[in-house]
Amino acid sequence: MKYLLSVLSLTVWLGFQSKADDYKASMFGIKSNGTTLNTHSIQKAIDFIHEKGGGRLVFYVGRYLTGTIQLKSNVTIHLEEGATLVGSTNIYDYNLSVRFPALITAYSADHIAITGKGVIDGQGRELANNVTDQVQKGILKDDLANDRSARWRPKGIYLRECKNVELSGIVVKNAAEWVVVCDQIDQLKIDKITVDSKAFWNNDGIDIVDCKNVLISNSYIDSSDDAICFKSHDATKMCENVEVRNCVARSSANGIKFGTVSSGGYKNFKIINNKIFDTYRSAITIATPDGGLVENIFVDSLFAYNTGNAIYLRIGARWNKGRTGSMKGITIQNMYCEIAEGKADAGREYEGPVEDLPRNISPASIVGLPGQYITDVTLKNIEIIYPGNANPNYAFRGISPADLDSIPEMPAAYPEYSQFKELPAWGFYLRHAKQVTMDHVILRAKGKDYRPAIVLDDVQGALFSAMTLADPSKKKKQIHVYNSTDIFLPK
Amino acid sequence: MKNLFAHISLFFFLSPLALCAKDYNASLFGIKSDGVTLNTQSIQKAIDFIHEKGGGKLDFYVGRYLTGSIRLKSNVQIELKEGAVLVGTTSIHDYLAVEGKRGLIVAEGQEHIAVFGKGVIEGQGAGLFDALQKQIQKGYLTENAQEASPAIVSLSHCKDIRIEGLHLQNACGNALIFSHSQAIHMKDVAIKNRALPLLNGIVFMACEGVLCQKLFIESSGKELSTSADCKSFTLEGCKNAAGKLLVFGK
Amino acid sequence: MKQIHPTLLRLLLFLVSFQAFTKDYIVSDFGAKNDGITLNTCSIQKAIDFIHEHGGGRLVFESGNYVTGSIYLKSNVTLQLDYGATILGSTNPFDYVKDKKIGWMSMIFAVNQENIGITGKGTINGRGFITANNMVNYIHRGVYTDPLKYDRPNETNRPQNIYFRECKNIVITDITLRDPASWNQTYDQCKNVYVNHITVDSKSYWNNDGIDIVDCDGVVIKNSYFDAADDVICFKSHSPDFFCQNVVVDSCVGRSSANGLKFGTVSRGGFKNFKVTNLTIFDTFRSAITFAAVDGAEIENIVVDGVRSINTGNVIYLRIGDRWGKGKKPYMKNITISNVYAEIPLGKPDAGYNFEGPIEDLPRNISPASIVGLLENKIQNVTLKNIHLVYPGGGNPLYAKRGLSPAELDGVPQMRDAYPEFSQFKELPAWAFYVRHAEGVHFENVTFTANKKDYRPAVVLDDVQNASFKRFVVEEPESAGKQQVFPYKSSAIQLN
Repeated sequence: MKYLLSVLSLTVWLGFQSKADDYKASMFGIKSNGTTLNTHSIQKAIDFIHEKGGGRLVFYVGRYLTGTIQLKSNVTIHLEEGATLVGSTNIYDYNLSVRFPALITAYSADHIAITGKGVIDGQGRELANNVTDQVQKGILKDDLANDRSARWRPKGIYLRECKNVELSGIVVKNAAEWVVVCDQIDQLKIDKITVDSKAFWNNDGIDIVDCKNVLISNSYIDSSDDAICFKSHDATKMCENVEVRNCVARSSANGIKFGTVSSGGYKNFKIINNKIFDTYRSAITIATPDGGLVENIFVDSLFAYNTGNAIYLRIGARWNKGRTGSMKGITIQNMYCEIAEGKADAGREYEGPVEDLPRNISPASIVGLPGQYITDVTLKNIEIIYPGNANPNYAFRGISPADLDSIPEMPAAYPEYSQFKELPAWGFYLRHAKQVTMDHVILRAKGKDYRPAIVLDDVQGALFSAMTLADPSKKKKQIHVYNSTDIFLPK
Repeated sequence: MKNLFAHISLFFFLSPLALCAKDYNASLFGIKSDGVTLNTQSIQKAIDFIHEKGGGKLDFYVGRYLTGSIRLKSNVQIELKEGAVLVGTTSIHDYLAVEGKRGLIVAEGQEHIAVFGKGVIEGQGAGLFDALQKQIQKGYLTENAQEASPAIVSLSHCKDIRIEGLHLQNACGNALIFSHSQAIHMKDVAIKNRALPLLNGIVFMACEGVLCQKLFIESSGKELSTSADCKSFTLEGCKNAAGKLLVFGK
Repeated sequence: MKQIHPTLLRLLLFLVSFQAFTKDYIVSDFGAKNDGITLNTCSIQKAIDFIHEHGGGRLVFESGNYVTGSIYLKSNVTLQLDYGATILGSTNPFDYVKDKKIGWMSMIFAVNQENIGITGKGTINGRGFITANNMVNYIHRGVYTDPLKYDRPNETNRPQNIYFRECKNIVITDITLRDPASWNQTYDQCKNVYVNHITVDSKSYWNNDGIDIVDCDGVVIKNSYFDAADDVICFKSHSPDFFCQNVVVDSCVGRSSANGLKFGTVSRGGFKNFKVTNLTIFDTFRSAITFAAVDGAEIENIVVDGVRSINTGNVIYLRIGDRWGKGKKPYMKNITISNVYAEIPLGKPDAGYNFEGPIEDLPRNISPASIVGLLENKIQNVTLKNIHLVYPGGGNPLYAKRGLSPAELDGVPQMRDAYPEFSQFKELPAWAFYVRHAEGVHFENVTFTANKKDYRPAVVLDDVQNASFKRFVVEEPESAGKQQVFPYKSSAIQLN
């Protein structure tokens, strides 16, 4: 009910946008030839419209080269079909005096929007390579972790502490780092946008950081890093009242991800009717390694095809600075997922990194920490199809107490489904969890697997009903329970 | 057995490599991790540069690095960090041979060389074999397919070689070929060589002082192939896909 | 002129035989991809080697974009670029070889080969701007060594499109050459070079010469169009033991931010037996024609017939200097230039082009055409016939002045060892023609027009022996009675 209200209020303020004056880009000397650097002309236009009380800056067909521009209150950038805002490949055309350089920025603005059927193209690969060059020459300082700059690569869109923000219709391409970032926004609507960005490392599709009252709908995301990603950078803030509906996403990392940075946390989410395909890591990952609180997450009708993993829920203790991360009230229902045998994102230019070898295909996992249980998880009407064919000679983890205890806790590690290397189950691995309900869950492996379907380790309270677990080995015991209490298994 | 090991370790610890080693990032040489840029000459430039500076290590971080044959030079180490994949191009004419054996990484008469790390070397064997077959059918390559198929590593007359920790997969030919080389140390390497039928894992010809530890070799042909004139050969905890321990000369 | 014809005949005969034995091979059959991304160096090289080893033929590039680094062309192989086919240079400088014998980088090399060619309506595009800038980056990073003189890599450390050395029987026809990082195409100590109907469009980086012929014997360049950042058609002599000789240049059109037709700058051996006909030069920063013998070159028997020089900074510059000659005695004699029409602009003729020619030698008013030898090495026997040069005039003595007093005329520096350009002396004392240290200079049916009054006379002769002016006309507004020919230290001057 709460969400419904927030969504309603979104629609109310959107009505306001309708009356606004249009200003053509050419009025400000902005050139559509693709070679004139328009940064200052576009900024002048925005400032002018802002001072006149607001309106739309309209770009018609053409290529508009620019460096960093800053949106101001009551200004809409409207990109007509065929109009492309092209990011300069010269890093010094970007405002580098801020923590997060970006092509399009806004700070503390109210009522801003980017609309239309046009394109924003960051030319991120060339830009990123030029950044590396400046670092290699010693002009820009950066420690080049992983042989790439973390500090200077500009994001596509970075909006911070704004109110009433709308992104609709546009195509955002090829950022040098994250693509669309909304940080501490209240009342955010993202509708019918396309994110197409496999230009460089860390191309997250959409990052929602500590935002309130968010609706992301009808959008298509194809990105080299996480597609739809919720983050919490500020321990005093969180992402809350968020709805994701009718989106399709592909990624060389995760489809839908909570984290990695998760200082404050995530509350009241509805993730409904989304599709994930050709995705290297998990269809959905919810991680709280930095002390954040995760509560009341409702996922319904999630369809995942050719992904490396289905579900990964994880509490860690990485940058939590004494705070304790928690996760409770997670419901996932009506989910169908096919796990890839090979590499789900093979052939992409920035394929997800092959890590944590040797391991056979990893199971979906719910992994808390000792004493920090992931609590109240409901999985209902779920089907996951696995390739099977694990080879114990390549990688092996048995179900003896010694084997199970040897799985590292890895509290401080970066949370990915593959982080434990070989796991002892082929379908679902649960550790440090409480009150887990599985109803009508089907796990199927196409090839024989030496492992059981499900392993429970330190699970306190589980109710499994109407379950189908099958691999061709016809082994009798597909569920292995270790170190757990109050476990009710189907007959 | 003990004598043998002492003999081998003598080779390894003579290596002066660690003393003057400097680390170089691949990006210094413009090597791109985008999976589509053919980096052959940039990587070669890096190896030559490091070699001329007296040695050091070329670091590849996470990413896919497309390349044709590169020639390793003395005192140069290549480290593939976790997530780094060295990807062999599928164009057969981009491969060089030593002693008639093509390879993605080749060296002849070099010493103190190493390729190691948690990364992967992907041979793209199936695609490469297709290209190779076409060239043979058209008469542009005169060797037979087996002779022409590139290995992932082909070293000849080298000394003090370390290959450690890597995943080597999908070669077009045998995965690794060592000929007339000495002091070879392979450890914790997983080889998956099943892209094409009848391919071996590792081929040793006239090698001396070989120590293989904890190798996993899954291949469509023999896991190990050794010529009769190999000397001082030690296998410790090496197994095949079926879990069978590998033995010298079998 | 008689000596030219056997050359042509020889070339034509060889061309006929050249066409006879062609067998075609398709480059994609060797695995080369036309996707504009795949680096095809090794596949193309394999194809060339294969054709070479199997009796020769054409390597056909069907339409599409083929990326490559350095390749070596071999005997009896012709690269045929079909309409729509483009060979794209890799933008990675490490994909290029700096040939040890040649000492330069190039995309297409040939060394000691014969019967080779590049034909067809396709394009070779070096993408040199990007490559050169990538090279600059590697130099700054310390990965490549270069002093970065003028803040750019030395031209030998930037790839040319084509460099052929010591080859015989070369055919270059129909192709378009674009944007190398250095010169476009060099034929060095080659015999029988036939260039017909090519286009050079190249303003991508410094030193983008259109075509460089170095110490070649038997050259035909005709029906070609050049638009280049540096010299358009450039003959050089790198070796004191070789000449450029027996050369025909016919029906070419050129534009440059340097010179149109140039001999030099490196000019050690010399240039002999040239016939240049129907040459058009426009929008060119320096001279339509520059012949320089500054490194000991011997220049003789040069016939230029038919030049249109429109919006070009200077028309004729003949110069003997003494730069790198190491004692070798240069000479320049028997030069005939006829049927020339030239318009010299007031402004910068190449304004707005990429890599405009450098503005140097200021202050000076519009410079005259010049023939400048050395005191001990005079330029001999120059005939200028049927010539009309139109100058803007308007030389302003308050901006720059060189008067006619002996002190001022002697004050024009000799600049024996300087880089030879028409502007090098800064202000000169004439507005149309300045001649110094020459013997036997004959003007016939010559008109010099200044559109505005100039403070200088049309012609100054300084140390000229035996000069004649027949049917000589000077047109300059408000200048009735002005002495337009001013001889100084000269003798045997005949005026009309």
